[in-house]
Amino acid sequence: MKKIFDKWIIYIILSLIAIPFLIMYIAFFAQAFSKGMSLGIIPQKLSFSNFSFLWSTIPWGLEKTRIWGIFLNTFLFASISGLAVTVVCTLTGYALSRIEFRGKAFLLSMQLILHAISGQILLIAIFFLLLYTKLLYKIPGVALARASLEIPLGVWMIKGFFDAVPWDIERSAMIDGCTRFQIWYKIFLPLIKPGLGAVFIWGFLFAWHDFIYAYTLLPGTVPLLSTLVQGLLATEVVDYGVIAAISLFYMLPPLFLFVFLQKALMKAPIMGGKGMA
Amino acid sequence: MRKNSLKFHSHWFFLSPSVLLVSFFYFIPVVLVFTIAFTNMDQVFSWRFVGLVNFLRLFTLKDPLIPRIIKNTIIYIFSALPLTIIGALFISLLTMRINRTASLIFRAIFFFPRLMPPVVWGFLWMWSFEGTRYGVFNSILEGFGVSPIHWFIESPMLIVICANGFLGISLAMLIFTSAIASIPKDYTRAAEIDGASFWQTSRFIIIPLLKWPIMTMTAWHLMSFINSYVYIFLITGGGPYHATEVWALYGYNSAFKNYQYGYGSSIMVILVIINLILLVVLLKAFGMRRMIERSRIEV
Repeated sequence: MKKIFDKWIIYIILSLIAIPFLIMYIAFFAQAFSKGMSLGIIPQKLSFSNFSFLWSTIPWGLEKTRIWGIFLNTFLFASISGLAVTVVCTLTGYALSRIEFRGKAFLLSMQLILHAISGQILLIAIFFLLLYTKLLYKIPGVALARASLEIPLGVWMIKGFFDAVPWDIERSAMIDGCTRFQIWYKIFLPLIKPGLGAVFIWGFLFAWHDFIYAYTLLPGTVPLLSTLVQGLLATEVVDYGVIAAISLFYMLPPLFLFVFLQKALMKAPIMGGKGMA
Repeated sequence: MRKNSLKFHSHWFFLSPSVLLVSFFYFIPVVLVFTIAFTNMDQVFSWRFVGLVNFLRLFTLKDPLIPRIIKNTIIYIFSALPLTIIGALFISLLTMRINRTASLIFRAIFFFPRLMPPVVWGFLWMWSFEGTRYGVFNSILEGFGVSPIHWFIESPMLIVICANGFLGISLAMLIFTSAIASIPKDYTRAAEIDGASFWQTSRFIIIPLLKWPIMTMTAWHLMSFINSYVYIFLITGGGPYHATEVWALYGYNSAFKNYQYGYGSSIMVILVIINLILLVVLLKAFGMRRMIERSRIEV
């Protein structure tokens, strides 16, 4: 009897904490798909009028803005960042996992130092750096700057995947005369496909979600989806329905990417070798 | 001889992209931020070194906002950090006790903020706590006949702390639940048979075993609460009247809102130094060397 009572108390406490969040999420979804709301979370009339930005202009002040150009900008920004993170981290992760060299311990702890000095507090300096290298206000330059933030953790992530590959495979490749680069390219890349996917998603997702870099380092004429949502929120007349709809649209692509890459990349090739589970 | 030169080339080939990128976007900026801090850089971007003027302005309280910012920062960090750690521990301990489906639903609700872009999370809080009758919570209260509450004027700091704290909770909860799940069931079962209550099992068995996850998460979130200002920027922008302006955000606003890049840099320099000190302390405490495995192939 006491046990059941305990269970109920747990449910009640958890629900009490969860309810404000549930209200927020429900209000968000309901607002996106309805004309008006009563009592905050009850949609009055189902409609897709909030999603009209998909085929016509966004009702944003006097300017005429179309979503697809902004979507492409964001996609470009996130893809460049994701690719940069993947390439750089896979190269570095291999070296840190497999090659013995002087200063390796230093480099590995360096990753943590980099993580501690967050890019956010270096933003002023990065602004000037990009200004003087003529990369400011350009998507590729800012995407690279954004990518560098994810490198510290990305390297740790991919290093784990490299560590998991048995040494025998590498040894036999070396005996057959592969160079380091050939080993990396021909042996390791196919074996750590799931890791590649994970790191790419990592870089892509954070760039896709990024706000402060895009807001500070890109001009107002090159909006990304994040700065668009913030811009809509900062205007005088705020239409929450449209913002909720755009936010929903903004949140979907990473999910698709994740599902798509999950299917493509989780098919790791069958590995033979000693010590392979 | 040839062997040596090959070795040199091979690892530098693999390392050079990240070394280049990292030195370009981390080391040069650190040097640059220390340099700009000694200039009175403004929107015309002229380098004029003014010595310690910016730092004197900070430390001799010539800037009347500084005491307020420091107070805000301390309140913010020391409320958001306990909220994150204790909240996450509490939620993960509770969700471990109920059945699987229910616990997954609860955890999904609390983990959702991590999957949201910062702008959307900021938008949700801004909108939910809007002071007019169009805000979510106000329009619910309206149904009960309560007149709209101006949440952002009455307790802006609390909203900011909760918004950031629950974001921290989602990550810490994930780490804690997986750590709890890896504790052998025998320990908790034995305690239950001996008649230990939920509180006693948690306090004397589970929490001591979670020492490492709790320490890492505390360190992690301490750093992120010191450094990150994006969510505060999005939700309140530091307002109303600097009520939620924390140190990092003040640095950002000085630079990019008031165009005092030099002064903003000097504020950020203080943060860089604090972070480095914290890092040294943490690395000492955590024993970094154990995490590094040696390679076994020598070429």
